[in-house]
Parts: sequence; C-alpha cells; structure tokens
Amino acid sequence: MTEYVIETTDLRKTYPGNIMAVKGIHLQIKQGEIFGFLGPNGAGKTTTIKMLSTSITPTSGFAKVMGYDIVRDSMQVRRNIGVVPQDLTTDEDLKAVENLRMVARFYDLPNGPSNKKIDELLALVDLADVGNHYVRTFSGGMRKRLELIMGLVNEPKVLFLDEPTLGLDVQTRAKMWDYIKKIRSELGVTIILTTHYLEEADELSDRICIIDHGNIITIGTSAELKASLKGDTIIVETKDEESLKEISGFSESVEEPIINGKEIRLTVKDADSDLPLLMDFMIKNGITPMKMSVQKPSLDQVFLKLTGNEIREESGESAFKQAINMRRLRK
Amino acid sequence: MSGLIPLTVRELKKWYRNPVFFLVGLIQPIFWIVLFGSAFDIAKLLGPAGVSSTLSPFYPAPNYITFIIGGILTTTSLFTGMFAGVNIIWDRRLGPMSRFLVSPISRSSIVFSKVLSSTFRILVQAVILLAAALIIPNGLVLQKGFNLFGVFVIIVALVLIAFSFSSIFSIIAIRLRKMETVFGIINLINLPLIFASFALFPKALMASWLGTVAEYNPVSWSSEAIRTVLLYGNLTSAQTNSVLLYLLYLFLLAAFLVIITYILSEKEIRD
Repeated sequence: MTEYVIETTDLRKTYPGNIMAVKGIHLQIKQGEIFGFLGPNGAGKTTTIKMLSTSITPTSGFAKVMGYDIVRDSMQVRRNIGVVPQDLTTDEDLKAVENLRMVARFYDLPNGPSNKKIDELLALVDLADVGNHYVRTFSGGMRKRLELIMGLVNEPKVLFLDEPTLGLDVQTRAKMWDYIKKIRSELGVTIILTTHYLEEADELSDRICIIDHGNIITIGTSAELKASLKGDTIIVETKDEESLKEISGFSESVEEPIINGKEIRLTVKDADSDLPLLMDFMIKNGITPMKMSVQKPSLDQVFLKLTGNEIREESGESAFKQAINMRRLRK
Repeated sequence: MSGLIPLTVRELKKWYRNPVFFLVGLIQPIFWIVLFGSAFDIAKLLGPAGVSSTLSPFYPAPNYITFIIGGILTTTSLFTGMFAGVNIIWDRRLGPMSRFLVSPISRSSIVFSKVLSSTFRILVQAVILLAAALIIPNGLVLQKGFNLFGVFVIIVALVLIAFSFSSIFSIIAIRLRKMETVFGIINLINLPLIFASFALFPKALMASWLGTVAEYNPVSWSSEAIRTVLLYGNLTSAQTNSVLLYLLYLFLLAAFLVIITYILSEKEIRD
C-alpha cells in the first residue's frame, strides 16, 4: 500500500451527449488531510466525488481509494469509505437512531458495538437528545449534522463530503465547520470535501484543488495559493476603457493586468508603496479614477486569476441552470 | 444479498407506522368483498334453478363471494405488487437512494426489499380479507375437507403473484423513473389483466376468444388454483394435479421475472 489514501490517473467522465464533466484528473490525497475541491457549480466536483465513492463509474482512467480500484473492487471501496452526499439521505419517516442502525446493518456491524458507536456519533454532533425523534421533526441544520454522522457509522478511514454546508445560513455553516474539524481531530479521518464557497475551502482544507470545467486548475495549500498571487491587487475603475491600458504601464513591477469592463486589476508587490506612484501617474496623464481599492491576497483572487472568472455563486441564474442540468445528467 | 433485511425492515416500519397506508391497505380488500361480492346475487341470476344447480356457471359455489374470493385475493396481490416499484422512485427523489448507492449492499437488494415487503403486506391483507369474508352474512363458505393443502395453495399462489408483479414493476420504475408514467402503465394494464382472466367470471360466461386469452393470464392461474381448493375442499387427484399445474406455471413465471429483475437491477440501478 502506498502512503496515499486516494490516487487517480487520468480520471474522466463523459455524459451522454458528449458532455465532458471531468476531463482527466490526476490526484494524490494524503492520509489524514482535509482535501477541498473548490469550483463553481457544474465544475465537475460532485462528479469526481461520485466516481471516487463508486456511485457512478468513470468513462476512462483509474482511481484507487484505500488501495482498492474504484471499478473492480467497488464493494471494498464502499466498505472503507464514508459518504455524505449532497442530497439529504435520511428517511424522514424513521427516527434518527433507526436511520443510523439501518446503515450499520448495511455494513454487517454487530448490534452491541454499533449501537455504542451510534450513541457516540450522536453526541459528537450534539444530537444525543433527539436520537429517538423522527427525522421529519429536525431543522435543516440538525438534518445536515445527522447526515454527517450517517457517513461515519462504519468508522471509515476516508470521508467524502459533497457540499456539506450548501444552503445553510452563516451561523449554521460555521457550526458545521466546527463539527467537521472535530471529526478530523477526534476520529482521524481523511476528509475530501467539495465546496463552491471560497471561505469554506480556506477555513477547512489543508490543501485546495481548484477545479473548473472538468479540469484541475491548481492544487496547493491556502497559503501557497495566496503566495502565487505575488502580491497585492490594486483595482481602479475609470470612466472610459481607453485610459485603462495606459494605467497598466505605470510601473514596471505590475504583473499581468486584468481588464474587465471599465475596471483594471493590477498586481503589485506592495500596494502601500505603489499606490502613491499610481496616483501620481494618473494625475500626470489626466486620468480620473471613479473608484480605487486595494485587495490583500485572498482565495477569491487566486480563483479569479486562475480561471479568469469570479466564482459563480448560487444566485447566478445561468450557474444555477448549469448545476441543475449537471444534476439531471448524473441522475 | 446484503442489505436485504435492513431495507425490508425499513419498508415495513414505514408501512405500519403510516396509519393511512395501513388502513387503506386493509379496508380496500374489505370493500371488494362487501361491495363486489354482494353486487351479484347468483340466486337471482340463475332463476328458479337456484344456486345448487349444476348448470350454474359458478357451480359448485354456494354464493358469488365464495366464487370470486380467489379472484379478489389475486387482484389485491396484483395491485399491491404493481405499486411496489413506486417506492423506488420516491427513494430516488427524496434522497435515501444516494445512501444506498454508496453503501456496501447489492443493488438488487434495494429492489427485492420492496418485493419482500409488499409480499408480506399482501399476506396480511389476505388474512384480513378471508376473515372478513367469513364473518359477513352470506359470506365465504368453506367446504368440508378444506385443509392445510388449501392454505398452502392460497399462500403460494399469492406469494408468486406478488413476486412476479412487484419484480416487473420495480424494473419498470427503475427504467422509467417517473411516477406518472408508472401510474399510467398500472392503469393501462390492470383492467385487461383482471377482466381477461377468470378472477371474476368463469370461462363459461366469456366470449370464446376472451376465454382463450384468459387461460394464459397468470391472474387466472392464481384465481383458479385458489378457487379450486375453496370450492371443492377434498380434491380429486385430477383437481390436485390441475392446482399443482397452475402453481407450476406461476412458479416458472415468478422465477423468470425474479431472475430478470435481479440481473437488470444489478446493472441498471445507478445514480
């Protein structure tokens, strides 16, 4: 066995109609890390996680999870992993413990130890008091917490979390993050998660894999990715697009200016010292700024720089449609 | 088939905990007995010759209920079986299917848990139905000599009908994925299945072409097998053979459909 929990080679998934959801992914995920797939809706995150967790089969390429081939030894893979899919998988007509016990039976776990494990898991996510309540009486946050431990009943070495905080409010999301961290620290589980929330990837992941249009754009720690920005960003908005090109030449230290409409983003080593120079340059050339701002490195910018797009949020209608279409394809 | 037992237990829990489901499942067969069984008065139909006449197409049934009870048991089994697949669509829509797919259980166990739980429900319904038929005035009359063999025939026939139709309709549900389509198919085929069979009427009352068609209908096989043991009690060896032959047909059909269902569900159930 290798030191990697997950290894993939040129993993691809093409849906009918020649829609390439995942276009050849090479990955190595280490024991004990939280590995975050970050990308907009429809980027191929869920498809990747579904292939690794054996609920869909890849079109081509190979992947091993815990040393088992995801196609040939899919049953062994399933025994060794825990999965928390995007859907709510608990049965509302059963009690929380009944849902968990049913899952324990799926793994042929003996009653005694698994019941003890279930009590521990309920306590871990603060649901011990409501274990005997019907799931239909749970709030959204409670159901998500229950989903988290549904994936842990079999004491997996690897846990897949597909958009663990999708649709939750800010406070509930922060609590979910605490639970996820607790699962890693207390149970020592390797966690692979997908998210389209930058702050979630930043907060939880040891390593982040930025994925867009089915391709891996980059992999690195949050710090590495931010360092790759090579400094701060100055954003200037002017009345007309003409003057933007002039601005980009104000200093030799400017790298890869990005023009977007009437806005230009300049990457500089140190905005604090470069900003006065830029002001001076604009006054001399008669350019009037409408807005100016400085951004210190953030994942947002990493994403923008690498994909050329802001990460598409839920609200974007086309992104939403794309996500729905992807979901329809997968079903 | 790992996962079969916990999944079947789940189905049954959902069934007996839902009072509406539970009561509808039990009351509906009673409606059948009381309304349909009393709708025809054989005595009137046959005129002065009376029920005991050997010329009666229902001979030797002492009343219509006793004649059609095998048909009603079979029809109830058929209905419950056909709806077995619908829960697969619900599981997919509501989310539990995603859990099943990532669990180390065989995919066919998802389908066969529906088959087994509906078979169990059918047997409970059958007991209630028979009890109701025995209690009501002018109800089911058991013949002398009705014995354990008769009970065996009733159970086997109903179980085989349940297996056949719940398997085939689960596959339909897996492939078509739409509630409306499955309901449409059920509505389309239940009428011909019931009326082109000996469930409610004997062959003597049918147009000859219909009688021929009905002979190949599994609903007829089950209805006739149950009817024979109920109407005659002590069977002649010829009657025993014909009952066993019906059960053999039903067994072959059920075995064929269960195998097909197994193969297709292992292959077709995916995300």
